[in-house]
Amino acid sequence: MATINLKTREIEAKIVYYGCGRGGKTTNLEYIYKTYKKQVTGDMVSITTEGDRTLFFDFLPIGLSKIRGFDVKIQLYTVPGQVQYSSTRKLVLKEVDGLVFVADSLKVRREKNMMSLKDMQKNLKEYGLSIFKMPLVLQYNKRDLANEGFPMLSIEQLDHDLNRQLKVPTFPASALKGEGVGVTLKECLKLTLKSLKKQFQEG
Amino acid sequence: MNEGVALSGSLSFLSLGDLLQLFGSNGSTGVLRVYSSHSPEPGVIYLKKGNPVNAFAGSQTGTEALFALFGWIEGEFQFTIQEITEEKIITKGRMELILDGLRKLDDGEVEKLGSVASDTEVSDIAASDEGGPLIKGPLVDYMYIVDEEEYSDGQEIVREKKHGNWIWVVVQGVVQVLKDTPDGPIEVVRLTDGSFIGSMATFTVNGNIRSATNIAIGNVSLGVLDTQRLFTDFSNLTQGFRRFLLSLDRRLREVTDRVVEVRGRRISLDAWVKGRKPAIRQGKPEKRLFMITEGNATVVRYTENGYIPLARLDRGDFFVVYRFSILGTNRIRHPSLPLPI
Repeated sequence: MATINLKTREIEAKIVYYGCGRGGKTTNLEYIYKTYKKQVTGDMVSITTEGDRTLFFDFLPIGLSKIRGFDVKIQLYTVPGQVQYSSTRKLVLKEVDGLVFVADSLKVRREKNMMSLKDMQKNLKEYGLSIFKMPLVLQYNKRDLANEGFPMLSIEQLDHDLNRQLKVPTFPASALKGEGVGVTLKECLKLTLKSLKKQFQEG
Repeated sequence: MNEGVALSGSLSFLSLGDLLQLFGSNGSTGVLRVYSSHSPEPGVIYLKKGNPVNAFAGSQTGTEALFALFGWIEGEFQFTIQEITEEKIITKGRMELILDGLRKLDDGEVEKLGSVASDTEVSDIAASDEGGPLIKGPLVDYMYIVDEEEYSDGQEIVREKKHGNWIWVVVQGVVQVLKDTPDGPIEVVRLTDGSFIGSMATFTVNGNIRSATNIAIGNVSLGVLDTQRLFTDFSNLTQGFRRFLLSLDRRLREVTDRVVEVRGRRISLDAWVKGRKPAIRQGKPEKRLFMITEGNATVVRYTENGYIPLARLDRGDFFVVYRFSILGTNRIRHPSLPLPI
C-alpha cells in the first residue's frame, strides 16, 4: 500500500526490481535513470551489496493520471538477493506496490531464476503479500547474448519455468542495450497504478 | 521534557529505517532520541527538514554514529520538534543513509545491540494458498540435465532386464515402478517430482541391467541427467565410499526383490535366520561400520507380525547404522539386523 504524503500532495508508490544476482536488475534501473533523466527527481542511491548493487531513486511517471488529485511519485528499488540482507530487503519490500522480476536468459542461470522467484514469493509472504495478487511483470533479460553464441533459455522455456502459474505479462529484453526496459517499466507502472486506484476506490 | 514530544514508541515496531523515511517524507525538523537498555546514553539524531544532519552514539558522532544506531533494534524512540542549530556534519542523502545503514547491519559491520530476534520462520510455501505451487517440479540442478523428455500416460520409460545406463529425474508427474513376477507385474512404488529413475550401477564396469519397469502415469516430464558428468563426480570419490554406495544400491535391489517375493509368498524365513547369529540387533545402538570380507549375512526386520526378510549381503557389502537421513528432515529408525553364519 502506497503512502500518501499530505505535505507534497503526492502518493508515493514503490516498484521493486527483483531477480537473481547479476541478472540485470541494476542495469535496468541504470538505464531508466539515464534515459528518463527528466522524470527522475533527486540522485540515484547506489549501495554496494555482495554480489550486486542495491539501487534507489525517485521517478515521476509522465502521462499517468492523478489519483484523487494527488500526483503519483514512484520509488524504484532493486533488492539484494543474498540471504544475509534481510534488513535491507525488509525495508525495500515493505509496502511494495509493484514488482518487476528480471530473469536471466542464460541457460546456466535457469535454476537461479526459479530459486529467486520462489524466494520472492517467500519474502512477500512475510509481509502478508501474495505474489499472485501483486502487480507483477516478468522480464526475460540478456536476449542479445544469443547472438554471441551463449547457450540460452528459450522464451517458451522461461514461460514454462516461471510463468506457468503466474500468467503475468512478460517482456524479452537486453537491459544493457536498453531494449525492452521501457516497455517493462511501462507495463508495471500501468498495473501498479490500476491496483492503486482500486485501493483508493477510484475508477 | 515531554512537552515537545511529537512521536514516541518502540523500535521493534518502527525501526530506525522506517522512522527516517517517515520524518523524511514529512520534512520534519527536530531531535530523535533512541534508548536502549544496552547503552547507558541515548543515541541522538538531529534532523533538519527531514534530513539527518548530525548524530551521536556513545563516543561516535556524525555518519558513523548514525550507522551505529541502526544496530539498536530493540528499545524506545522519542521525537521532539525543536529548532536545530547543529552544524550539518552528515552530508549523505537520506535514502543512501538508510540503505547503507541497513546494508552495514546485514553485513555485520554494525553491531546489533541486545538480543537478536530471530526472523520469523515462514511456513512451507510449496503448497501455496492459491492454486498449487508457484514453480512446478523440484529445484533440480540444471547443470546436470542435458535434455528433457515428455512421456504420455502408459508409455514405458525403461523395461526390466534390459540394459541401459541413462538416469532421469522426474521433473513433473508420476512414474509407476513395476517388477515382473510369475503372477504378472506388481507395483513396487510410485515416483513423483524429484525422484530418480536409474541406479548407481550405471557407474560400474558391467553397466546396468534395469531392475524394474517404469511406466508414466499421466503426462510425465523427465530430465535426462548428464551421466558422463555424474560418472566424473562418482569416480572422484574415494574407493571405499564408492563401494559403500554401490553396496547400498545393491541392498535396495535386494529389498525390492524381497518385497516381490513376499507379495508372491515365495519365501521361507527359515533360510534367512536358521543357523545364523545376530551381528547387529534391531534397536540396539551401534556405531561401527562393517564390511563383509568373507561369508554372507541377511538383514531381517522384526515387526508385529514377526520377522520380515529384507536383504542378503555378500562379500564386499557393508552394514552400519548409517544416518544419511540426518542430512534431511526425515529420521527413520534403522531396521538392520544382519545375521552372519
